[in-house]
Amino acid sequence: MKRRDFLRTAGTAGVTVATLPGLVDGFSLRALASDETPMSQLLASSDRVLVLIQLQGGNDGLNTLIPFENPRYYQARPTIGIRKDQALPLTSTLGWHPAMDGFRRTFDEGHMAIVQGVTYPNPDRSHFRGTDIWLTATDADVFGSTGWMGRYLSTLAPEFPNVLPGEPLAVQIGNATSLGFIGAQGPMGLTIRDPEEFYRLVTTGQNEEVPSALQGDTPAGREVAYMRTVAASADVYARVVKRAADGGSNAVQYPNTELAARLKVVAKLISGGLGSRVYLVSWVNNNFDTHANQVVSGSPTTGTHANLLRELSDATRAFMQDMQQQGHGKRVAGMTFSEFGRRVAENGSTGTDHGTAAPLFVFGEDVLGGVVHGSDPDLVNVDNVGDMLMQYDYREVYASVLMQWFGTSTSLASQVLFRDFSQRELPLFRSLPTSVHDQGAGPRCGFGAVSPNPASSVVRFQVSVEPFAATALTLHSVTGKVVASADVDTWAGTASLDVSHLPQGTYVATLTSNRRTVHTLVSVQR
Amino acid sequence: MAGLSARTAPLTISDAYHLVRRATLHPSKAFAEQFVGKTPAEAVGMLIDAPNDGAVPSWADTAPALGEDFSVVAGRWGELQRWWADRLIAGPSLRERMTLFWMNVFVTDYITVYFPQHNVTQMRTIRRMALESYRDLSLAMVGDPAMLIYLNGNLSIKGNPNENFAREWFELFSLGVGNYTEEDIQEAARAFTGWAVIGLQGRHYPALADAGSKTILGQTGNWGWRDVIRITLEQPQCARFLASKLWRTFVSPTPTAEDIDALAEVIRSKDYNIGEVLRILLASEAFYHADVRGSLIKAPVDLVVGLAAFFGGTALDRALFVNVAGVLDQVLFYPPTVEGWKGHRMWISSTTFPLRQRVGEGFVVSRTADGRTIPLQGGGTYTLDLVAHARTMPDHTNPRQLVRAYANALLSVPITQEQEDVLVEILMTGLEEFYWDIDDEAAARPRLRGLLQAIVRMPEFQLK
Repeated sequence: MKRRDFLRTAGTAGVTVATLPGLVDGFSLRALASDETPMSQLLASSDRVLVLIQLQGGNDGLNTLIPFENPRYYQARPTIGIRKDQALPLTSTLGWHPAMDGFRRTFDEGHMAIVQGVTYPNPDRSHFRGTDIWLTATDADVFGSTGWMGRYLSTLAPEFPNVLPGEPLAVQIGNATSLGFIGAQGPMGLTIRDPEEFYRLVTTGQNEEVPSALQGDTPAGREVAYMRTVAASADVYARVVKRAADGGSNAVQYPNTELAARLKVVAKLISGGLGSRVYLVSWVNNNFDTHANQVVSGSPTTGTHANLLRELSDATRAFMQDMQQQGHGKRVAGMTFSEFGRRVAENGSTGTDHGTAAPLFVFGEDVLGGVVHGSDPDLVNVDNVGDMLMQYDYREVYASVLMQWFGTSTSLASQVLFRDFSQRELPLFRSLPTSVHDQGAGPRCGFGAVSPNPASSVVRFQVSVEPFAATALTLHSVTGKVVASADVDTWAGTASLDVSHLPQGTYVATLTSNRRTVHTLVSVQR
Repeated sequence: MAGLSARTAPLTISDAYHLVRRATLHPSKAFAEQFVGKTPAEAVGMLIDAPNDGAVPSWADTAPALGEDFSVVAGRWGELQRWWADRLIAGPSLRERMTLFWMNVFVTDYITVYFPQHNVTQMRTIRRMALESYRDLSLAMVGDPAMLIYLNGNLSIKGNPNENFAREWFELFSLGVGNYTEEDIQEAARAFTGWAVIGLQGRHYPALADAGSKTILGQTGNWGWRDVIRITLEQPQCARFLASKLWRTFVSPTPTAEDIDALAEVIRSKDYNIGEVLRILLASEAFYHADVRGSLIKAPVDLVVGLAAFFGGTALDRALFVNVAGVLDQVLFYPPTVEGWKGHRMWISSTTFPLRQRVGEGFVVSRTADGRTIPLQGGGTYTLDLVAHARTMPDHTNPRQLVRAYANALLSVPITQEQEDVLVEILMTGLEEFYWDIDDEAAARPRLRGLLQAIVRMPEFQLK
């Protein structure tokens, strides 16, 4: 299958196709980095947050991104197909569903990437198998019992549940605990509907506890142990979550929808300083399962699917604006996922049955946005049911997120995903995590904008430095060698480095003050 | 595992609680005691009961009117939920347990179905057939109006089949994933064409049905909808699928392949008559084995009805019951997906676990979690007289015996010596056991409250 990276040039702020190879080069560097290099130090700590939005029921990708130049699309969908003039502009051959103006604008601002044709070999058309496969990150014929996020988060808390991290590693806004957060040692996340309710539930009632002697390896003992783990997390984190919720705020108005309400809670917790790495939000039900009346008959741009896409698009947009306005835009990214796309051909009830590959969206200020990975849906080379073939394995996206957003090594990502998917890593983010190392109190410093990045000759840094801090800016190769250094204008808060003599590749810029060292990545590209 | 051989030992009180906790939702002391000394076979025989629809909503037999005011319909949704709540809580019933079971197999929801008359119809059909033939029930579900609407069978006609019902028939209602192909789904979808909902009924129109040749699970012919059911039930996997569901509902969440095969063999030998199958399963060594006691996590309705039954609160306001089950993630007539409530550990989250503790304590202190009184249906307030309740327990003049009696009644697994000691300490608030005096009611009351609160807060209390 041919892999093409589409790039929309018109209206895309500051993103050029040249960024891609530079970052691709950067990926190999993790393999080189030993424990002593600034690189691994840089990756060791991060305040980055990933928000997963689950589109339960199987989102119809073909009516999400409309391949309006493809006659087969209209042949397959005579009543539910969306016309070119109805779709919002995306590329010369692809348009957004008209309800997705929020996504369109985010994409145009360079803050959203699209991955086309995401599924896995031998896709399962069952909601429940499909959902479990996506959550456990296993092959189609493997029945996993732990989730990919649960396994990743377990590596951050190796002694869980005996030693709980100071902050909940993950928070799910909603109901039953997602399989995605289950680690080998139990659920790695909290499930809450509302921080206030959660606090009240945990802190009222009698406090005397009867010891658990039943934690033996009997069927009942295993269930008791599971519940004790859940209860311990709830007890420990009730105050932490409440403090974050009380201290946090929302800077924008959210739409009055189910998804928006949940994202609003997430924004508040992030704003209030909760240290959770991952959030999961979804609708309560299988809403995207649009077998019937997906569109209003005779009006394909309206109906159930349009409403869902509008809810998704508007809520996500509000959430991102909220995060940006509160200064968290750079450290918050999101990703949508759904257990499958839908059948290429519509059925007889203005709906679609279960299908296979579908697009997935990654968003955030630090996302290498304005990019469509993969080609337009291929409606000619299809499977025996007439559904689309795979362009990307969903685990290639997961691996990219783990390695780029969370800065895991290739081997850790492979361990979490049971296999190495880094060969087809997608360049989804602009930079690897910026890490912060403090050595006690004292003047602080931090990186602001780095531009251009990638750079070919001179790269300018905005830095924030507290008064009277002695600072230095150095550039390291991935092996830790200093290749350039510059003075920092502490009054103007700027510095610049000439990289014209350096070979193409990824470098680590390190800013040090008396008490703090911060790192960020710079890509050199010509 | 001890297998399905018939157990003959007469039931102890612990056995009786185990039986009524699982075969019904009502582990009350009086009900459990009826089974003490009976053989397991006699006990099951006492449980097989006739359908009782209770007070069916007045509008149930009135055909839906298009253009019906939304507020009227929405008001009926509440009535619908309270009707089921009443059936669950009013009294112990194996048939209600199985009605709940089948409602969670042949899943629909009131939002999608919209007109709750259809939900009533479906539940009455299920209740009527709950202990009878799975074959007949399946045939009835194909043309059930709620099901036709929920899985789009009413929109599936010759030449333009909708796969929704056919897929879930194989995946969730009969065989389980991996035991059929995509082609089987497409062919079965053709065979299921031709249905429409007319008034309160599902009707099949042969003119709208695809009469052509189809190959389903390897059999080729001009199959109609009845043939799909027949062919499916001929698959050995169908009995295994059902066996797995029954085992996970009644015995343990982790059946072995041998367990499933053994029960599947029974299902086939009884020709899918579920009442006959339960007579064997619920009287088997496997069902009473020590290892399976307490291995299942109570559903919200188990928790609430169980508390109400034990503490004398079955007159609980039905709307309150619906709400409590709902906040514990079991909204009646509204499971999250067509897979139904997944149950077991999926009931437990960092929100629902403490909430379950609060609900348990509510029945002890006669107050809701936010401190309000607990309304009863038809007026009045739920008030547990702790001392009077304790007096119904054997050996209540001895604090240690009283702790054991409550633990034995409320918990599905035996408590350890350490737990017993702590519970006695809680009951005695640190005093010597010698000072226990149930006749000093003012002193006994807060102690009993402390003991029962501690028991219902234990994770063990969430097990059955």
